[in-house]
Amino acid sequence: MYRLRKWGPAILLISPSLLAIGVFVYGFLGWNLTVSLSDWRGLRPSYNYVGFENYTRLASDGRFTNSVGNVIVFTIVFVGGALLVGFLLAYLLERRIRGEGFFRAIYLFPMAISLIAVAIIWRWLMSNATGAQQTGLNRLFSSVGLDFLVNDWFKADQPFAVMAVAIAAGWALSGYIMALFLAGMRGVSDDLREAARVDGASEARVFWHIVRPMLLAVLMSAVVILVHISFKTFDLIFAMDAESRLIEMPAIYMWFTTFDSFNFNRGAAIATLLMVGVAVVIVPYIWYSMRAERRQ
Amino acid sequence: MSARVDVPRDLRIRSRWGPHVTTLRYLALFALVCLFLIPVYVLVVTALKDPSQVSPRQMWQLPDALSLDTFRTVWPKLETGFRNSLVMAVPASIISSVLGAANGFVLSKWRFPGADIVFPLILFGMFIPYQSILIPLRQVLSDAGLTNLTGLALVHIIYGLPITTLIFRSYFASISDELIDASQVDGAGMLRTFAYVAVPIALPAFAVSIIWQFTQAWNDFLFGIVVVTRATHWPVTVALNNTAGSQVVPYHEAMAAAALASIPTLLVYILMGRFFMRGLMAGALKG
Amino acid sequence: MEPVGIRLQGVTKRFKGHVLAVDNVNLEIEPGEFMVLVGPSGCGKSTLLRVIAGLEEVSGGRVYLGDEDVTTKLPQHRDVAMVFQSYALYPRMSVRRNMGFGLRMRRTEKTERDRRVDEVAHILGLERLLDRRPGALSGGQRQRVAMGRAIVREPKVFLLDEPLSNLDAKLRVTMRAQLSLLHQRLGITTVYVTHDQVEAMTLGQRVAVLRDGVLQQVDTPTNLFRHPVNLFVAAFIGSPSMNFVQGRVANGSVNFADVTIPLPAGSALAGSDRQVVVGIRPTGFTTATGDGMPTMKAVPDVVEDLGDERYIHFDVDAPRVDTEATRAAVDAKSAEDILLLPEDRARFTVRLPVDTPVTAGQPVTLAVSPERLHFFDPESGATL
Repeated sequence: MYRLRKWGPAILLISPSLLAIGVFVYGFLGWNLTVSLSDWRGLRPSYNYVGFENYTRLASDGRFTNSVGNVIVFTIVFVGGALLVGFLLAYLLERRIRGEGFFRAIYLFPMAISLIAVAIIWRWLMSNATGAQQTGLNRLFSSVGLDFLVNDWFKADQPFAVMAVAIAAGWALSGYIMALFLAGMRGVSDDLREAARVDGASEARVFWHIVRPMLLAVLMSAVVILVHISFKTFDLIFAMDAESRLIEMPAIYMWFTTFDSFNFNRGAAIATLLMVGVAVVIVPYIWYSMRAERRQ
Repeated sequence: MSARVDVPRDLRIRSRWGPHVTTLRYLALFALVCLFLIPVYVLVVTALKDPSQVSPRQMWQLPDALSLDTFRTVWPKLETGFRNSLVMAVPASIISSVLGAANGFVLSKWRFPGADIVFPLILFGMFIPYQSILIPLRQVLSDAGLTNLTGLALVHIIYGLPITTLIFRSYFASISDELIDASQVDGAGMLRTFAYVAVPIALPAFAVSIIWQFTQAWNDFLFGIVVVTRATHWPVTVALNNTAGSQVVPYHEAMAAAALASIPTLLVYILMGRFFMRGLMAGALKG
Repeated sequence: MEPVGIRLQGVTKRFKGHVLAVDNVNLEIEPGEFMVLVGPSGCGKSTLLRVIAGLEEVSGGRVYLGDEDVTTKLPQHRDVAMVFQSYALYPRMSVRRNMGFGLRMRRTEKTERDRRVDEVAHILGLERLLDRRPGALSGGQRQRVAMGRAIVREPKVFLLDEPLSNLDAKLRVTMRAQLSLLHQRLGITTVYVTHDQVEAMTLGQRVAVLRDGVLQQVDTPTNLFRHPVNLFVAAFIGSPSMNFVQGRVANGSVNFADVTIPLPAGSALAGSDRQVVVGIRPTGFTTATGDGMPTMKAVPDVVEDLGDERYIHFDVDAPRVDTEATRAAVDAKSAEDILLLPEDRARFTVRLPVDTPVTAGQPVTLAVSPERLHFFDPESGATL
């Protein structure tokens, strides 16, 4: 009786959200899975079970394998680049210098604008027009004599095209990674470091032996977050060069095949695969975080 | 850790590398600032140029004269989208924050059995690729007649629940349990404790949650094109892509449009950056 | 309002992981009584308090407030008021609103609320602070607001969870006296939790000593002091702690080291021949005056002068008494916690009048009355 009175209102309060999440996340995931196992093509829904046919078809679908290759390259370049730049920025800012707020604000601001805006700006910067029409970064390089840097950016051959997009994405996300690393570095107890310094360790040693292990946790967080963003990348590609196969990734392909070509079943299959890819990274991450929290 | 700026110059403890490292540091930081701001430079300079001065050749040059003509040309194309986004994002961010506050409160302070299972289940919703629910979403919303701004707001509210819940749960976890005990002994049940004790304390968390959700809703594109079917209901990101997304659109118009569409979130970022940062960090779980 | 009594009947509380915090406690608190729950950390006193408040659900047993069985009632329906160790003041409310919150929850009229808040604020000297927020108050002021919040409610029962622990020493002594005064004035049944046995002895009309969730003894402070029911209670109550030594009872007297003391008249141990633990309080000794009282020689190595008291410390040539009970009484987890010097000899502390001529290193003869001896069973710790 006590328990019912104590927890009843709480469960009631949270139940609308639970219901919403239950339906809109888990229910829909299941529904999507069902569609991926169906024969639904065209505007009228059709749920006849066809087994894993849609998936096997994807395996032999050149356009799909192309998109998978692209997203892999993209993930590697994007995640690696954002980690490097983000870490560098954090390292530079770690010691409390004057104007830190200013610097941080500059590096972080791309997080505040939409990826569509980011794509629009970088699309121009990465223009591959030639001759009198040459513009963007290419023109800048030419005018200062760095002609060897001129290239086709996102219209270049694969995989370089994808790398160009990764640059734009890295620009947008590096600030976030910087913030993560900064928080981790600052989280390292100052006492620990002071003790090491007094004991005679040089700055470099202090960093290597004390700060670095704690950064591994941040690194893990950062990688998980970046990889999952990478798989979800849609806006950036869509606004940059939606129809181009050079930079097409599964998320975009899903869009076109579903809402353009009305192959709902194939789209659902791609979506499910995306889901699985993300889950592989995210589920252990959440589980590990909950465990770490409980230990506290 | 004390700031070095407090100590008089000649008394500061000097490291072996001393001032050289600091100078290098500043140099590197400024160089990176310049690199980071290249896109901003291009955007601002181009949008403010007189249209006659816009050409591939003159891209990197500063404007001879400042002109708002391009903005005037582009604004009508974005106006409807702008208004739509505003009407959608403000209520959505507030409602999802209120719900998140209730959830966060219950999950952190009123731990019913199973609260520790429910929370990860909610959290997972934050990470799913939205492609994996698009098809059912489109179906349900069109069957329910919600392929409009209300539907879009609803979508942002529901898919925003995981992050707002996370923000509030973390925040409430840091307030003392004894406060909740005191409130109960004083005669308040869960609901009144939430309303009279928890909510007033959580105002900073509300700021974080509302700002973060507003930014997410304003900057979203995918839900914008999937949920909304009529052009008059498109949010600003969709309008932006339509006006500036095509390859044949003049660059200066594209820049001006991108700038206009980004103003609200940039304003929020500049004025309330502190809260924005906290929302950002909330998404990175511990461990 | 008539004060109500509290009855705990077979109360047991088991936490997740089978931690038994409260073990079959039976306690009867009289209406209007000031009852102190005391014991080392982890003994279950706070849990018991929370059970009375309704913040914890019992795993077994029943709780009565007056004649009413409140075992399954939530805190908000029990009409008890609680003062927390951290005060738990609502940070975003003024002092006035903090104090009035409970009344507001019970839908008391605003005018009545204000009247009662003003009245209590006057008693506690908080009038000038009514519009301030807790953040702008000192520790002592916050403590008074926490008290005020409880008093305004005019509840059936006051529950206080170590309310003085966060105050500095001198303030604590002042507040103790004030608490006593308040209780006399208001006459509300009060249950007070503390780990400080001095606080317990000075404040409580009766004191309940707990250890590991089990009630050891419930009695007036005097009785606890004079007639402890086991080794733990004897070691826990009294500061400085009672002196213990292993000894042997034979032929009508007790022997330890080179000391022989005849048993008091009518002692239950008169005919026994057995090992015992002997306990003598620091106040159980006087300097020998040659009036026929049993004596013992002592060579103090530490003499402490506290202004109006003098303590001497010396070794006794007999094994130290180191049992779970004595360790638990000083909140030590293992023998290592209290061992600064490794010798296995009993150490005595004796209080003497301040003008006693005694210096470190010089032997002194102490007299001890057999009536002041306590005897305990070495195995069970029970008083003999």
